[in-house]
Amino acid sequence: MDRLSFLRRLYLLIGLVLLQVLFLNRICLFGYVTPLYYIWMIARFDNSMKRYATLLWAFFLGLTIDLFSGTPGLNAASATLLAMFQPGIVKLFVSMDRHDVVIPGSASMGGRQFMGYLLLLTVLHSTVYFILRSIPLGDWTELILKVIFSTLLTWIFMLVTEYLVAGSARKR
Amino acid sequence: MRSLLDFLIRHSFVFLFILLETISLVLLFGFNDRQREAFLTSANSMSGSLFEWRTGVESFFSLRKENAILVEENTRLHNLLEEIADSQYVNIERSLSSERVIAARVVDNTVRKDDNYITINKGKRDGIAQGMGVFGPDGVVGVIMAAGKRYSVVMSVLNGSTSISCKVKGSDSFGFLEWSGGDPYVAQIKDMPYHSAVNRGDSIVTTGFSSVFPENIPVGTVAEVERSKNGYTLRVKVNLSVDMSDLKWVYVHTETRDEEIEELYKETVR
Repeated sequence: MDRLSFLRRLYLLIGLVLLQVLFLNRICLFGYVTPLYYIWMIARFDNSMKRYATLLWAFFLGLTIDLFSGTPGLNAASATLLAMFQPGIVKLFVSMDRHDVVIPGSASMGGRQFMGYLLLLTVLHSTVYFILRSIPLGDWTELILKVIFSTLLTWIFMLVTEYLVAGSARKR
Repeated sequence: MRSLLDFLIRHSFVFLFILLETISLVLLFGFNDRQREAFLTSANSMSGSLFEWRTGVESFFSLRKENAILVEENTRLHNLLEEIADSQYVNIERSLSSERVIAARVVDNTVRKDDNYITINKGKRDGIAQGMGVFGPDGVVGVIMAAGKRYSVVMSVLNGSTSISCKVKGSDSFGFLEWSGGDPYVAQIKDMPYHSAVNRGDSIVTTGFSSVFPENIPVGTVAEVERSKNGYTLRVKVNLSVDMSDLKWVYVHTETRDEEIEELYKETVR
């Protein structure tokens, strides 16, 4: 798997934004469970990227989604925060002595580690997202339910993607 | 000094992070209603065409059902027309006012958020302006919050800031319809006078007081009546007659508003 060029990353951003605003934003299970699948892009940031570049990509990803969802700043804030912590979270799941380029994935990290990594990432993102969205905070149980179920749904979506991506890579 | 400089350069992304977060949070919390409106309208002109495309694709699959609804409404209107032709009585007041209705297609709609908005594919170009009433074949839908060039944002009935003047059909008891989140099929009228005769099953319709809506547009039916906490007013739960989650076409009521009434209202309320 190669590192993504600027252009390919841009295509990925556009694709994820379209998927999110046209389809996923409409999924609303039990009244509050929406998959925030667009963070897949942030999950795949490799460790050779400059930190400022990851922050800018995440910020524009979030802001574009905000523009189409009528939620100024909400996705931008949570995506940027996620990009800030993503490299640290990667380090929790790969051994310390690796100095090569790691693109997070089941092939480079091992299936179990990758699942854990995605889960942690999604929990962090959903928590920040729903806290910001629910301010002023009132109903804590509802907030926690939103976080738990949206995390699970996003996580499952990402696992399926990884399964498909890794599957097609193996065939090649 | 040098090492400090080094440190700052190496960690410049931290400052970038703080900058980006600040921008986001200002966007999120620093907006007042007016700015939020501007954001929605500008975003609207861009996202409007995208959403319209999606709606186009989706509506292709529900043509049959949509057709049935249109036919049904057509029949109803025909009947109404005949009734009017039959009656000798001509409502002079109504025929004098420049009442006009514009049909628009719903291109984006939410019902599950705390404050819901609808985007429609008609804007200033088509004669739509802020404050106009929007209703569907089944009844009241919302009020135009912001009009862009080609698209407009409607503050849905399912929005904490929406308040619609309505009454019990055939009586003079009136109140304001509000929605406080949760169930998208139920709203409340909070301050209905205590002496009003309201019963379960009664129809609730618009009053036409503010000229936002014409009189007698259906709003819903009474589901429950209870005394409010202060004891002097009634709290009425209303089952909305419109299924807000399944809106395809709406009408915008563009009667030229009586400016004197509006002025007076603004002077007294604000």
